[in-house]
Amino acid sequence: MNVKFLNPFVSSAHDILHSETHESVQRGELRLETGLYQTDDATVIISLIGAVDGTVFYSMSNGSAIQFASALMGEKFDTLNTLVQSGIAELGNVITGQASMRLAEAGFESNISTPSLIIGRGASISTLDYPRLVVPLTTKIGSLTIHLSLRENPNNNLKTPQIGIPTAFESAKS
Amino acid sequence: MDVKFLNPFIQAAVEVLKTEVDANAIRGEISMHKSALTSDDITVLINLIGDVYGVVMYGMSTSTCLNLVSKIMGQEFAEFSTLAQSGVAELGNVISGQATIRFAEAGHKSNISTPTVLNGKGVEISTLDFPRIVVPLETQFGVLTVHLALREKRTLETPLMNMTISQDES
Repeated sequence: MNVKFLNPFVSSAHDILHSETHESVQRGELRLETGLYQTDDATVIISLIGAVDGTVFYSMSNGSAIQFASALMGEKFDTLNTLVQSGIAELGNVITGQASMRLAEAGFESNISTPSLIIGRGASISTLDYPRLVVPLTTKIGSLTIHLSLRENPNNNLKTPQIGIPTAFESAKS
Repeated sequence: MDVKFLNPFIQAAVEVLKTEVDANAIRGEISMHKSALTSDDITVLINLIGDVYGVVMYGMSTSTCLNLVSKIMGQEFAEFSTLAQSGVAELGNVISGQATIRFAEAGHKSNISTPTVLNGKGVEISTLDFPRIVVPLETQFGVLTVHLALREKRTLETPLMNMTISQDES
């Protein structure tokens, strides 16, 4: 996994957590993992397809999920209910969306998938032969761990061919 | 979720199971769920992005998974090793790939993500506000359950083109 994909995610997550919780965000120690990921209480899974391919996980404890969702939605929650679940899925979605915009600015255009959410501790998730870069981010109200299992795919720059070539140019070419 | 997305997946799954493991898959009863999915032993998760988007999950028990993988790889697997993981991920990948080819033929272009393999019974997988269509496929190796939580992208072009321009008659 390429470390250059790390910063867009870390800075997006930092900015979004800071603006939503109004707390300072500390970055923990970065590590590379190749084995299985043991799920925390809540895990948001989002895939990237395009010039960067792979999967991103955002994992957090029950307490952190509830705190983040409460901060995000301006409402006090006590349990990891469906509203909290959609709140943290949206958090993952916003971070990934902003990170993919930063990646596009750096020349790596990718599309992101809809988020899926895994609720429950102790299952193991394999990203197969993609190693994962793991970064914990901590705020006063809770912490969020980002797992990046991404790969560069120079053959699959999605968006550029999707913009249709104007017919005038096409006929001029032939 | 639109039922028209169902058949390409079922056809692809039945065909792939036939060619890869020589299994005659029998389709069980189709059901629709709005609640989160409680995982079986092994779940392969693949996202779709494009005209059809969402997530597809293939759930199965460990024994079904080992039977299928042993047959695909032509080698006996006694435990869910990394090789078995990549085997079952590849099965999900091939089925989803085949299904998206069928979507493309019907005019819906989509790309599939790399597979993620979840191992652990009883955790909840939520597709949030996407309802799931669940189809069990029974084979002599065990049951493979296909969960589809897909949606069609509404293209912007139609409403834009239909916009009427008011004529100034004065």
